[in-house]
Amino acid sequence: MAKHVGYFPELKRNWWLKNRYFMAYMAREATVLPLVFFIVCLLAGLYSLLLGPGSWQGWLHFMQNPITIAINLLALGASLFHAATFFTLFPRVMPLRVGGRAIPAKWIILGQWFGVLLVMALFAWVFGRGM
Amino acid sequence: MTTKRLSIQRYLPEQSKTPFWQDFDVPFDDSTSILEALNHIKEDMDGSLSYRWSCRMAICGSCGVMVNGEPKLGCKSFLREYPGTIKIEPLAHFPVQKDLIIDMEIFLEHLAAVQPYLINDSEDSTQTHKQTPAQLAKYLKFSDCINCGLCYSACPQFGLNPEFLGPAALTLAHRYNLDSRDQGKAQRMAQLNREEGVWTCTFVGYCSEVCPKSVDPAAAVNQGKVESAKDLLINLFKR
Repeated sequence: MAKHVGYFPELKRNWWLKNRYFMAYMAREATVLPLVFFIVCLLAGLYSLLLGPGSWQGWLHFMQNPITIAINLLALGASLFHAATFFTLFPRVMPLRVGGRAIPAKWIILGQWFGVLLVMALFAWVFGRGM
Repeated sequence: MTTKRLSIQRYLPEQSKTPFWQDFDVPFDDSTSILEALNHIKEDMDGSLSYRWSCRMAICGSCGVMVNGEPKLGCKSFLREYPGTIKIEPLAHFPVQKDLIIDMEIFLEHLAAVQPYLINDSEDSTQTHKQTPAQLAKYLKFSDCINCGLCYSACPQFGLNPEFLGPAALTLAHRYNLDSRDQGKAQRMAQLNREEGVWTCTFVGYCSEVCPKSVDPAAAVNQGKVESAKDLLINLFKR
């Protein structure tokens, strides 16, 4: 690296607050935080299942707490927001071609949302049967 | 003629170690660009103002500055687009030499590192390298880069770590890797695969927003990640 003359302004810790693109980026990255909570809940559920009925009832009680439900709803919203950003970026990272013709980005994005709907419908069918 | 206030960050190392702000009221009409306003200041108001420029038509890529905190080409942004006082600073994430003049050395080093030219050692060098329109279409979009450096000023990862090869260099590497006439991909992949190669990018995407030639460097860098991942897998099986 060449020796620098003059001055070199350093990037401050709050760099991402100065531009709406950077704020949107940080919001996208921050979606992982409520998701971590959701995954910890899921793992705690599996562990309490191993420990026995008492522990499982305790976990069920914890999951019915309004704060737990609120954070998990936030996690759902955050993951859908992250999916929306990912689906929009996907056709730029992996432009698909069929028979030498490029598939329009709009179709690829719609296709991904269709996949989400399919998975949701599958889950609704699997878990809805027992009710 | 109405005037508009330009607030310019000055840096005169022979006078002070820190930059300062200086205001100029510049006459303008609907066709006045930031670059023309700077030229007016230099010619009629303060001859000591320093900045780079050449072509006046978004070809040379010399006149990049921060306009109200956004990386812009001075010749391609107009005073009419900004309602209040316009803040002009040197391009972000680069060392400043004087006023609006930055030291682009690190950018040029990153460009050279990816060998952004055709590498082809075929025996018969007298033959022209033919290319079909479909082969051209694969990289054409990524070949419009004018090396203005706006994408580096838009990239927080480059701002945090100047060793990151950065949007323009990685885009040019990808552009030559996609070229049917080129045989240098193996040499360039070594650079792309480095931590300071494609993997430092976190797809903020602002580089593509500010690119004055709509090159979409964010797409190129992230396509480079796919190539880098493929390269890793292929090398695993080769051993």
